[in-house]
Amino acid sequence: MENFREVAAGKKSLKRDYVAIMMWFMGRAIQAAAAVDRAVKKEFVDMPDGFTFALCVMPNGPHMIVGKDQRGLVRYRGWDPEGKTINLQMKIKNIEAAMLIFTFQESTALATARERLIVDGEVAHACAIVRILDIVEVYLLPKIIAKLAVKRYPAWSYARKYLGRVLIYFRTIFGF
Amino acid sequence: MYLPEHYEFFCPVKINSGHKALEQIPFELDALNVRKPFVISRKDDSERGLVDVIIDAFKDSGIAIGIFDGVPADPDLKLIRELFNIYRDRGYDAVIAVGGGPVADTAKVLNIAVSGKPNNIEGCAGENLIKRPLKPLIIVPTLSGTGYEMSRNAFFDGRDYASHFLMPNLAVIDPRMTIPEDAVTTASTTLAALAHAVEAYTGSSKNPLADAYAYTAIQLIMEHLVNVIGDQQDRNGRLSLANAHAMAGCAFSNVASGIAHELGKIVGDVCHVPSGLCMGMLLPHILEKHMSESDYHISDLLLPLAGFDVYASMAENQRARRAVDILYDLLKDLAAVSGGAVSRIWKDAQVSEDTLQDVAQRAVGNGAISDMDCCVKILREAREGK
Repeated sequence: MENFREVAAGKKSLKRDYVAIMMWFMGRAIQAAAAVDRAVKKEFVDMPDGFTFALCVMPNGPHMIVGKDQRGLVRYRGWDPEGKTINLQMKIKNIEAAMLIFTFQESTALATARERLIVDGEVAHACAIVRILDIVEVYLLPKIIAKLAVKRYPAWSYARKYLGRVLIYFRTIFGF
Repeated sequence: MYLPEHYEFFCPVKINSGHKALEQIPFELDALNVRKPFVISRKDDSERGLVDVIIDAFKDSGIAIGIFDGVPADPDLKLIRELFNIYRDRGYDAVIAVGGGPVADTAKVLNIAVSGKPNNIEGCAGENLIKRPLKPLIIVPTLSGTGYEMSRNAFFDGRDYASHFLMPNLAVIDPRMTIPEDAVTTASTTLAALAHAVEAYTGSSKNPLADAYAYTAIQLIMEHLVNVIGDQQDRNGRLSLANAHAMAGCAFSNVASGIAHELGKIVGDVCHVPSGLCMGMLLPHILEKHMSESDYHISDLLLPLAGFDVYASMAENQRARRAVDILYDLLKDLAAVSGGAVSRIWKDAQVSEDTLQDVAQRAVGNGAISDMDCCVKILREAREGK
């Protein structure tokens, strides 16, 4: 059969690994921010105990799973959704869309507006997660990059921003 | 705002347009329950790297794809049988057409075959002879198309197939696929899209939803066509034109076809000139003819053609004249910016005086226009210029 060939789906291993690392770090940073930042804490208070959400890349990951346990503590619950009850899934449609988000070329809000991710679950909770991601990105990233990554760069006090940044980085790296 | 007593509008095609749009295809296939798509394309598009871009877009999706990149410029039913055998034997469950009109038409007819009519494809030629939904079809257009990705028609091996079921489920417009074509191809396809949009916007069968598509298509074309012909590297311009083609195709599919389209097709066929160029050259002359007729809406055309400031500054009775003049100016600009490669009048495109009578006879014969003398007059004006 001239002009015909079958092509197996290739891999984008580097991009996948980069996104997986960013998700791992972001998941731990959300856990840290929930303990440090009042605004993040408040967003989680409004969610039911036991609530778990996943940010994932379609079709096969990577995943970032974060949940609130029965005592109300926010925990990064790893990258494997197997056996976990997920109440809210935010699915990025493909690895290229995930790269645009995690290289901060597109904010989460803009990516949502451009239909790069879909939500399975309560929209109100998804909006809260987007706000949490924005706050965490402000803590983690220098202003010049964070301005690209968030919808609106906030006018925080120096104490909140820099003290919070130190604490969140410390907690993220050591995982508590 | 014109609202007809009654109208119908139908467009089931999902559009996915923009940066990294191709990477969304696996997601869309999943939604369509497709596991193994079959990509068809032309050899020259494959050699230009378009198929490689598709392969890259499927990376990390877990979906293996079959690729046939040998669709000729004039495909026939023998090819459909060959493609049908590949599709059936390898267990594919959807077709993705990558490229211009012949590829899209091949994909549509192949879809008739793989959806249950492999031995009676010719029997489906004609109006509404396909009676039930076909398998999923995705079209990835290039700039060498005229909005066929939105159309319910396929012209294949000398036969016309027309049915809503031929429309694809998805059209994906990605800037990586709208790579530069030569000036004549870009001008021809875009002038065809402009003619479709203008005739949808001004014709007696216009409706508000088709207007919305036609309006945006006209705006995009007026904003970008001359720039793209002058600078084929204008990526945003090329993406805008590809979007305009799709929108014009949608508007065109929801109104009665106009004289510029019908006549342009015949001239292109008889004189071997790109039919899109013929449609573009005919358009202002035909609008002039309609200017005095009350069921045409030529004065409204000034708004998408020239923008709000010009529209508001003109008296109502002058708007139609100005709109037609803008279309004449567009042809002049295209000829100038392309260094004469895009002809302004038919005489420059080697259309001889002798053929006009033949064209007029065919146009009157197939009902494109009713008045023979009027038709010859329009054709002569388009040939000689004004």
